[in-house]
Amino acid sequence: MTDKTNDPVAMWQKMIGEMEKGFNSFANQAMSSPEFSQAMNRAGGAAAGAQKQLGELMEKYLVSMNLPSREQVTGLAERLQSIEAQIGEMKSMLSQIAAGSGISQGFDGAPRPPRTKRPPSEGEQT
Amino acid sequence: MNAPTGLDFASIPERIQSEVQRAIQRSIKGVEYFSTSGPSLGSTPKDVLHSRGTMNLYHYRPMSDEIYRVPVLIVMATTNRGYILDLVPGQSFIEFLLKRGYDVYMLDWSAPRPEEKSLRMEDYVLDFVPDCVRRVQQDSGEQDVSVIGYCFGGVLSLLYGSIHQDGPMKNLICFTTPIDFREMKLFSNFSDRRYFDVDRLVDSIGNVPPEMILSSFEMLRPASRTVSQIQLWENIWNDEFVKSYRMFDRWATDTLPLAGEYFRTITKDLMWDNKLFNDTMSVGGRAAKLENIKVPILHAVAEHDHIVPYEAAKHLIAKIGSADKEEVMLKGGHVSLVAGANAVKRLWPKLDSWLGKRST
Repeated sequence: MTDKTNDPVAMWQKMIGEMEKGFNSFANQAMSSPEFSQAMNRAGGAAAGAQKQLGELMEKYLVSMNLPSREQVTGLAERLQSIEAQIGEMKSMLSQIAAGSGISQGFDGAPRPPRTKRPPSEGEQT
Repeated sequence: MNAPTGLDFASIPERIQSEVQRAIQRSIKGVEYFSTSGPSLGSTPKDVLHSRGTMNLYHYRPMSDEIYRVPVLIVMATTNRGYILDLVPGQSFIEFLLKRGYDVYMLDWSAPRPEEKSLRMEDYVLDFVPDCVRRVQQDSGEQDVSVIGYCFGGVLSLLYGSIHQDGPMKNLICFTTPIDFREMKLFSNFSDRRYFDVDRLVDSIGNVPPEMILSSFEMLRPASRTVSQIQLWENIWNDEFVKSYRMFDRWATDTLPLAGEYFRTITKDLMWDNKLFNDTMSVGGRAAKLENIKVPILHAVAEHDHIVPYEAAKHLIAKIGSADKEEVMLKGGHVSLVAGANAVKRLWPKLDSWLGKRST
């Protein structure tokens, strides 16, 4: 068997691991400074501003192309969501009716197991 | 063995042969990697009990002939998808719970839509979580509910529990949950109030994009992504390694955007003013003090958590008002604590032994 200390593959892996640790630690130190925070947030703020402008531009473009506006698509999504919610409520009601009639079953219609489980006693394998 | 160098010359041809075979396998598997998708995740059978905007409530179909009386509601972190707790059969926390006889529900999140940018902390703590708890009660027919919160899902669970002191939460389990946000040093510096204009950000872009969330996580260990890709290439001949890499990589990069107003509150109340730790937190005008929580609580923390360092989580148990409280520190990182091969051996059995006796 090859000695790990002289195994080139193991040495390479160890080196990569050490480099990762070293770089992460160095970067973390650098990122802990207020200067880093200032620079990062300055860049982030500029990107957010640009993104907002681009979004507004795209909205105008879509309107000029006679495509549905965001409000219209959102309105449709909301109607769909309300239908989904009503179906959910109906399923829930059916489930309650089933439970009221003594049938314990889930959404899939399968009967639910009884809620009688006790924890295994100390040392018992499950 | 050659004593001075430590090299076993007899094994060199064998080693070369093995490396050549791996090199060939890497080329074949490398092509395969790009032409196939990863394993199917989150496939434990479940029903969508309720869905409303960003909120989804699932009920997992029982896998045991007999279940504990008290159902379990898992509250997922708002930045990530819940399938980290349901990777693949044999490595699924959900499947583990089901097989151990728990009745499992999960509050999982979809990406908030642009018009949901106005969702506030109140919507999460005073509406989404209580609504799900109510639905779990209704669906299970039980009044008591145990809650498990992962990472920021733990923070939401704590806020919920501290405001709804009269129940129906019976037990609370938090995984890697921060309460002292000053101790999340890098996040704290990234959001330094002198330089980070959260109002401008939220007012200009609405929801915080997932790329921004992902890069702030990746910046905590900037070399790790490159190194993990090198490791993938080295191990691409190993199907198990590749499967595991793909599962975790897919999940880690599948970050969710955060609703703008919610993010504003997190930044101002938690990151800047550290209100949860200072006992000054309130949600919708209702005080949320940790000492108000009196139910049994287990807090599991990871020894090598780079996202929520132990310093940020360690005061939780001391500040909770419960008499029955326990912190357990296990080997692993922020994700490997709850998912993957090590979680199967460490966290899950610990949780089962703690929760089982409190679920009857």
